[in-house]
Amino acid sequence: MIEDDIYRASSQYRLWSYTESSLQSLRATTNAVASERVRAALRRSRETHQSTASSTAGTPLPESNTEAKNKDEKDVECLTPEEELVLVRYYCEKTLELGETYKPPIPTMVRATAIQYLRRFYLTNSPMTYHPKSIMACALFVATKTDNYYISLRQFADGIPGDTTTDDVIAPEFLLMQGLRFTFDVRHPFRGLEGGVMELQAIAQGQGQPAPHLPYETAEDLQQGLLSIAPPPVPSSSMSDRIARAHGTTRELLKSAAQMTDAYFLYTPSQIWFSAFLLADRPLAEFLLDVKLGGPVTATIPAPETDENGLVNPLYEIRSKLHHVLTECSTLLQSYTPLSSDPAQMKSLKRIAKKLYHCQNPEKVNLAAQKRESTQPSTAVQSDTGTITSESETERLAKKRKLEQEQIVRQNDDVFGPELVTQRTKQ
Amino acid sequence: MASNAASRRDEDEVCPVCKSSRYLNPDMRFLINPECYHKMCESCVDRIFSSGPANCPVAGCRKTLRKNRFRKQTFEDIGVEREVDIRRRVMHILNRREEEFDSKRAYDDFLEQREDIIANLVSRIDVAKTEAQLQKYAAENMQSIRTNQAIEAEEASSFQARMTLEQEEARLRRQAVRQEYETERREIQAGREDFLSRLASGSSTDAAAIAREGHKVLLKKSSARRSEEERIRQKQAALRSDTKRVSNLSAVEHAGGADTGLVKGLRKIKTPEPEKPYDPFMGYVPEKRDYYALQSYYPSQYLDPIRNDARMLAGGYDLREYYSRTLLEAFAGLSCFVGEEISQRDANISKSTATEGAAMAVESGENTA
Repeated sequence: MIEDDIYRASSQYRLWSYTESSLQSLRATTNAVASERVRAALRRSRETHQSTASSTAGTPLPESNTEAKNKDEKDVECLTPEEELVLVRYYCEKTLELGETYKPPIPTMVRATAIQYLRRFYLTNSPMTYHPKSIMACALFVATKTDNYYISLRQFADGIPGDTTTDDVIAPEFLLMQGLRFTFDVRHPFRGLEGGVMELQAIAQGQGQPAPHLPYETAEDLQQGLLSIAPPPVPSSSMSDRIARAHGTTRELLKSAAQMTDAYFLYTPSQIWFSAFLLADRPLAEFLLDVKLGGPVTATIPAPETDENGLVNPLYEIRSKLHHVLTECSTLLQSYTPLSSDPAQMKSLKRIAKKLYHCQNPEKVNLAAQKRESTQPSTAVQSDTGTITSESETERLAKKRKLEQEQIVRQNDDVFGPELVTQRTKQ
Repeated sequence: MASNAASRRDEDEVCPVCKSSRYLNPDMRFLINPECYHKMCESCVDRIFSSGPANCPVAGCRKTLRKNRFRKQTFEDIGVEREVDIRRRVMHILNRREEEFDSKRAYDDFLEQREDIIANLVSRIDVAKTEAQLQKYAAENMQSIRTNQAIEAEEASSFQARMTLEQEEARLRRQAVRQEYETERREIQAGREDFLSRLASGSSTDAAAIAREGHKVLLKKSSARRSEEERIRQKQAALRSDTKRVSNLSAVEHAGGADTGLVKGLRKIKTPEPEKPYDPFMGYVPEKRDYYALQSYYPSQYLDPIRNDARMLAGGYDLREYYSRTLLEAFAGLSCFVGEEISQRDANISKSTATEGAAMAVESGENTA
């Protein structure tokens, strides 16, 4: 199928599609590496602390004391991959809420992109190294840029509750991009859903066209087929009404469940929206699949359809495989319950947050400060010797630059451009 | 070619058919026919075969001969004559070239085989079988035989051309040398005369100076000549190497031929695959879709107002763009079974590199600050 090949060309398929097991092992590796680093970092910080303490005191600390310290340093408990996952999911939900606070709210698509960025970032990075709180805002800001929804940085920073500065927002930006392997394209199921609904509406109004592989069906056949499907769980007045209702439910599912689970890593966008559609209105979704791939498939009656060459019809094969995959995907979507609605989950989340507070990598806490340090090492050094001189220095430089700028502007203002021979005017 | 001794012996040569001897008829010429190699005089041939094919008049030989096949004998020994004929014919058919064989060994085997065939035919061993083999081979390898013949002819003609060229060059060289010698001699003579006359006319004090001058002039001339000669030689060498290269090229071009029953160890010819028609999209047809047929209109209460909204359409926005994009995204990857395909891909990439890559991704993710 050509459409599938088009999807296979996307970075989402090439770099961000995993099997369940590979996803799990990747998370485990990330967690193992990160915990090791956290332990090492904690040890280092403790050692420096100790050495400064001992130098100020002038006397070495008692042996028993250091031993005890060593022991509790070993006991630093790191997060498990599962706990990390819960934490990331919580911040994904927070991202949705954060998008809601803006006026006007940030579009769902942008928020979904940000959530996927977060999820992708935390595949190879651990919340113990970089706290999701700082990454979250940055992810949303990057998403507004990649999805063409412009918000100025200042406006964006103002929208975040608490005193978040613009620097805090963009500090982890490059880091985030690196974590995303510089692939910003996220294929969402939202637009695909619109397309599917459009097709169904066309069929409902007798304007549908058969799929290229099943060309013998006419628009009337399709319409009749659609009208004769099983009634919906909730009775509706007309077919288009029913489709619209299913559309709405599916959209809600895609906004929440599809974002908070690993669906994006494990399935393709079209499979995701089809499974959500199955949850919303099973007969309708199955009808659309039948139209596209032919033949109803039930797990109980395997119909060995063979053509004259004795081969199994490839469409049938796809259809039965798809049935399996869609069922898997819908159970995954169904398994999702919002964290905030479940007190037990909230409780465990609080526990995880507390734990994270202890095992946070101390070297990576203040990203904004680190960034400033790395970009302006010279001023940082100068500030130790004397802040006044360095400030006056920068002031002087700024003034000089401003003067030069003005001169250039003045020259450019001249209609005939700057003077060709400057010396003659002087004479 | 007829040496004196031969001509003397020919004096009493007698035509085996009409018994007339050379003594009576000094202009008598003997002819042979490669069918049976029986010798007879020209007048006999005229007499017997003018009115069409007839049997050989020699007793016991009942071969049918034709007049146009009669020719002059090249070698005195009729056996040699016959062998040469056979050799020529066989070589004409079995005319494989060394380039066509896989190895030197295969070519040598071929040469040996050819000699065997020739020997068989000459000494009349298994003639029928050998002939059948030859005919079969000729029928099967008509094409390659013909091309090889063409190459041979070309080679022969180019060889001829080269020989004439070389001869011409040699002649020119000789001429140049002779001319040079002449001019040199004349100059020396003129110089000497001039020198003598100047000595005669000049005073006695100048004598030494004049003598030196004359010597110098001669020297200069000879060195100039030498450089000229050098130039010509270089030019000729360049010319020669040029022609050599051309002939080499023509020789290498044709090679190949299928492995036949008779000749073994031929090199396989690689026929170049016919070029497929150019496909700029590599099998992808831009407008072809497998899941849906794009319609020009889809009923939708959200989109319908846009269709007639001048504000929307003024900028060139076309709702069909939206249709094609949404429908593509609706079905793109529907039967792309990630779990299956990715695990297969990982297996293909080979486990070590895949995990390495993941580890590296982790490293890089963790390293950055």
